[in-house]
Amino acid sequence: MTTPLLALQAGAPGTLVGSLSSYLVVSGVLFVLGVATILTRRNALYILMGTELILNAANINFVAFARFGGFGMDGQVMALIVIMLAAAEAAIALAIVLRIFHDFGSIDITRTDSLRD
Amino acid sequence: MDFMFVVFAALALVGGLVMAFHQSIVHSAFGLVASLFGVAGLYWTLGADFLGGLQVLIYVGGITVLLLFAVMLSTRDSTRMAFGRYVLVAPIIGLLGMFLFQVYQGVLQVVTELGSPPGEPEPTTQRFGELFLAREGYLLPFELVAVLLLLVLIGAVTVARRGHGAAGPRRESTT
Repeated sequence: MTTPLLALQAGAPGTLVGSLSSYLVVSGVLFVLGVATILTRRNALYILMGTELILNAANINFVAFARFGGFGMDGQVMALIVIMLAAAEAAIALAIVLRIFHDFGSIDITRTDSLRD
Repeated sequence: MDFMFVVFAALALVGGLVMAFHQSIVHSAFGLVASLFGVAGLYWTLGADFLGGLQVLIYVGGITVLLLFAVMLSTRDSTRMAFGRYVLVAPIIGLLGMFLFQVYQGVLQVVTELGSPPGEPEPTTQRFGELFLAREGYLLPFELVAVLLLLVLIGAVTVARRGHGAAGPRRESTT
């Protein structure tokens, strides 16, 4: 009895490489790496980079399911929209980072606490 | 195709590891570049040629250049991470990985039941054009994204511009 994770295979039978589940594993690892980056760093730029990695992991899932599920182009269109929104998000976030650096002299997010008191 | 998958997946994963664990932010940024390029390669192995090209153009060409500019303009302070935080974060990450594994198993079952097997990949650029400019396709989101990008352009300039007037620089205890 095979587990569902091993069931979908696109290439030659018996190989896992290139199947849907291998894409899912890659995307899951990238997602976890992005989360680890966000949680462990205090530099705002690292948090941005982690966000980009998470968005890419989600995009891999969109495209992989669109291909292996036979769901047509909708997954790719969604991935393209995510890419466009990520570009917008990166531009705004970097502007904010530069602004924070200008105002606080640091982009350590634990120091930007002037709203706290 | 399988060989290319291994190459690009390894590129994406190694880049991601370098980004997550390297001490220097410039090295991390280049790790992110490698990872994003690997993801573009994964798109190509999935038959999404146009999407992979756009990924290289927008991410590898655009966003990372912005990131590197921000790195050069802003990081004077240390970017070292506290290794103690990994001890705290490791269980969260482990749980997250297990959760993802479970979700993927469930989703894979659904896809095996509902989906159809993949056919031969074909060029997608024309399909994208038809989908984005047809009224029954994605015309409205396309136009909304265009408006959003214009807003972002103006907003980013407004936010990043040197403030004048009352909101002057307020440097306190720099670095």
